[in-house]
Amino acid sequence: MRLDLSILLPHLGFLAQGALLTAEACVLALVGSVIMGAFVAIARTSSSAALRRIAFVYVDIFRNVPFIVQLFFFYYGLPEIGLYIDAFTTGVIALSIAGGAYASDIIRAGILAIDQGIIEAAEVSGLSRRVIFTRIVLPIALRTSVRPLGSVLINMILTSSILSTITLNELTGSAQIVVSQTYRPFEVYVVLLVVYAALTYLVSLAIAILHRRLNRDMMEAVA
Amino acid sequence: MRFADFTAFDLVLLAQGLGVNIALFLATSLIGLVIGIAWAIVRYYRVPVLSEVITFVSELLKNSPVLVQLFLVFFGLPGLFHIRVTPVTAATITLSANTAAFIYVIAVSAIESIGRDQIEAARVFGLTRWQVLRHVLAPQAAAFAVGPLIALLVNQLQVTSLISVIGVVDLTKIGNILNMRTLKPFVVWTAVGLLYYAAAKLVALLGTRFENRLRAHSAWRGL
Repeated sequence: MRLDLSILLPHLGFLAQGALLTAEACVLALVGSVIMGAFVAIARTSSSAALRRIAFVYVDIFRNVPFIVQLFFFYYGLPEIGLYIDAFTTGVIALSIAGGAYASDIIRAGILAIDQGIIEAAEVSGLSRRVIFTRIVLPIALRTSVRPLGSVLINMILTSSILSTITLNELTGSAQIVVSQTYRPFEVYVVLLVVYAALTYLVSLAIAILHRRLNRDMMEAVA
Repeated sequence: MRFADFTAFDLVLLAQGLGVNIALFLATSLIGLVIGIAWAIVRYYRVPVLSEVITFVSELLKNSPVLVQLFLVFFGLPGLFHIRVTPVTAATITLSANTAAFIYVIAVSAIESIGRDQIEAARVFGLTRWQVLRHVLAPQAAAFAVGPLIALLVNQLQVTSLISVIGVVDLTKIGNILNMRTLKPFVVWTAVGLLYYAAAKLVALLGTRFENRLRAHSAWRGL
């Protein structure tokens, strides 16, 4: 038994490429899931019962089915209906849809937490319902949900490791390749574990700073 | 010749796969519960060094992908110590440790949710530290922790799907096999997803019932 981390040195560049791919997928999927989540949150807070029901079913399904099953559903299923897209796009789509289910709950809570007086004031000022929503409700809801959306991003970074199962060589996928070249699984995976933990820690620090900055005028309300 | 149709036996296969997931889920949840609570008690007694080590390990386990943890145990441990690790052993070790890390956090916050004055009062009445833990803290902490615990367990049930990647023939693996044989991804993955969904709903339902029973003493009884 010997632990020699120096064997990883020649492969650092390759692993960094994988990390970059992970970062790209996560950022794209975060944007996708916030957009998805915003629409679903609108549906879940709408006055139409049918729309609320549909949105609830979507959230319920994608939160209660394992991500790997959702991923295989899209990866093997999409070519079946004539959609030939690469693993990266499939992965981003699957991450966005799964993340959207979580994001929608957060944004919905942000919408419901808005002081009714603000909306009444906007109505009295004669703003249309669309303007009230896009200019008043959504900005407030989004900035108070920065911290919980950040935990969605952190979860997404961890979940994106599953994309390695659909032949995408992101951080975990490239680590598997390094293992098959060096025959040193323990060293590679220990480093990988620490890298993921450090990455998510840095992201959580950045989110805390962003959250404080965006909400600096209502510090006591969001603490 | 290829046999590409669905047969009645496929249902048995799916049930077997689900059984593997549920068995592993129950076993690792139980082991994780014991370990996690033990860690929380170590922290409650403020054992030097050990408390810090536990906090560090649990942070590392919470902030890295389960897939990487699985690879570390399944490929890494045999590589370093030259021991044989079967897929099921690796899955049990990893999922237990992962569950323990999350339960540790829940247990710690549950213990901390109880006011210091209660502990002081109990100590003044002459209860030993163990008696305080057993008769004052444990019942209240259990009622506090049961909600987050159920959410965690529903999540951990889905995490068990990842063990298919290291070769445990669970529901996801069965889904893979059926998918490759029949080439009907939509049917196969919908069936697999539905089974996981039903299992998650069952866990949530049983959990809510248990929660209501634990909280019955503080429920509103009417006038």
